Amino acid sequence: MKVKEIMTKDVVSVKPEDNARDAISLLFKMEISGLPVINEQGKLVGMFTEKDVLKQILPSYLEKVGRFVYEENPKSIKNKFQDLGNLSVSQLMRREVITIDEEASLCEAARIILTQKIRRIPVLDKEKKVVGIVAREDIVKSYAKEAGWRID
Amino acid sequence: MENRLIIKFVFLLFLIAFVGFMSQRLGLNAQQVTAISIFSASVFATLLFWDFRVAIAFLGVAILLITKTVDLENMVKFASLEVILFLVAMMVLVGLLKELGLFAWLVTLILRIKNLTAKKFVFVISVLSALLACSVDEVTSIIFMVAAILEICDYFEIEPTPYIIISILATNIGSMGTVLGNPIGILIASKSGLTFEDFILKAFPMMWICLLITISLVMLWYHKSLKKLDEKIKELGANEILIRLISVPPEKQLRLGLGIFGLTLLFIALHHRLELLWKLETNTLLLSIPLISAGCVMIWKWRKAREYIEKDVDWWTLLFFLLLFAKAGTLKYTGATDVFAGRLLEAVKHSSSALTGTILWGSAIGSSILDNVVLVAAFIPVVQSFQSLSVSLKPLWWALLFGGCLGGNITLVGSTANIVALGILQKEKNIRMTFFRWFWVGLSVGIVTTCIVWVALMVLPIYR
Repeated sequence: MKVKEIMTKDVVSVKPEDNARDAISLLFKMEISGLPVINEQGKLVGMFTEKDVLKQILPSYLEKVGRFVYEENPKSIKNKFQDLGNLSVSQLMRREVITIDEEASLCEAARIILTQKIRRIPVLDKEKKVVGIVAREDIVKSYAKEAGWRID
Repeated sequence: MENRLIIKFVFLLFLIAFVGFMSQRLGLNAQQVTAISIFSASVFATLLFWDFRVAIAFLGVAILLITKTVDLENMVKFASLEVILFLVAMMVLVGLLKELGLFAWLVTLILRIKNLTAKKFVFVISVLSALLACSVDEVTSIIFMVAAILEICDYFEIEPTPYIIISILATNIGSMGTVLGNPIGILIASKSGLTFEDFILKAFPMMWICLLITISLVMLWYHKSLKKLDEKIKELGANEILIRLISVPPEKQLRLGLGIFGLTLLFIALHHRLELLWKLETNTLLLSIPLISAGCVMIWKWRKAREYIEKDVDWWTLLFFLLLFAKAGTLKYTGATDVFAGRLLEAVKHSSSALTGTILWGSAIGSSILDNVVLVAAFIPVVQSFQSLSVSLKPLWWALLFGGCLGGNITLVGSTANIVALGILQKEKNIRMTFFRWFWVGLSVGIVTTCIVWVALMVLPIYR
């Protein structure tokens, strides 16, 4: 089975210049955790995910300190969340995006998702344009179908 | 981008060739010229090619071997595996303490200061920065100090920059207090035979003197910022609300981790006495105790042992150090540093106090621009070469240590602690430190503290 057979073809995306607050609202509305960022030329330039939002609002030294020192959210996090309205998607997005060719196999998509610890992969055609997105859920469902499971 | 990189590489080759040419003009032989040129490549790489420095070190060592400038046996000997292993073991220990929440707990201690005043705040962050730096290492220490300072400044809605600068200055001063504070401490101890006890008796008190003078200086320098903080404390009523928000209780595991770390420090402090008692070679225990502690930690947390080694040890930096030490050893092996030492001694007219002053100021100024490990690695074979010229080495080792640590305060790129802390400040608060905003206060502290050390090295007999 090929990636193009299982991918979601209607790709909702954001533009790099879009407001970060609007992009987060779109994530909430769509009930997904990440969106591809596509520029005016139709080129994929990044991924905007909830993880990037958390990375922006939490202290950058948190990983090094080992753990958080508060019972409740400190003021700095609230302030940083407020400031997201002044930032664009390009200021938060991850620029190094792992992609997959539409002709690639399902196994290859599964391998990438597992080894790169990501939840979704943008699918590109030969002209390097985004033609779909394949999520972890799509892959597991395809394997389940192949195994003869009934999925509602 | 790639063209720019090629131009930089051509410039690097030109610099290396220039150093080689100058060395030849000074009458050095072919092997000495090769050793100096290859070592200079590492120096320039730290200045111009941070991301390529390990690659350049790999190539340099290979060239030294192929050109028979040094043989394999000596190369391995010069690489100072004992220093690298010591640093690996300390990094494993620090990794465990971080995971157990020691540093988060320390941050809460600062946040909990009762009856806070601006002066009290400056005093506490300075002393804690220095003590933490000399008991773990400067880079680990500064991250936690910056985290605590940013939280307090956020709470009182004041600009954190002056307090971050104060903490960095104190951290660099603290890093000279013990063998553990800075990689150059263990490097000097390993090459000179100085013990932890020597550091406690001679470097630790000097650290305190420099620290107290620095605290008075920065209180004057930043008196306006301190006044503002005092006003905010009055307005917001100290940090009681902040204290109530904090919750990192010292749990059982943390207490156990603290116990292991405390015992490690205790045995490191006693290493010389134990070595005498058990008739061991000098510094055998100093280098072995962290290995024993790290070994115990990896047995206790055996499921995570691999993670400690892979994630908590900064292999990138350590590999660079290993190759750098090998290249520095080659400088002595070929006799290049003997020539340099002879010339230097002639220049200072065989005066040992002038030589100490030259090493002190040379290492202070040098480490304000260069990574102090690179600088000290280059100076060590030179200092060793003075032995054959009947010069007392002890004051020179102390001059190298003090200069290498204090010089880090002069510029904003003077030490890794500066770069790490200012990086966090920019990321968290979007405050970009300008060269001159740092320079005047850094230069003042750097010059005053180096002058104090200079006088002490000249006057006090304990350093001779």
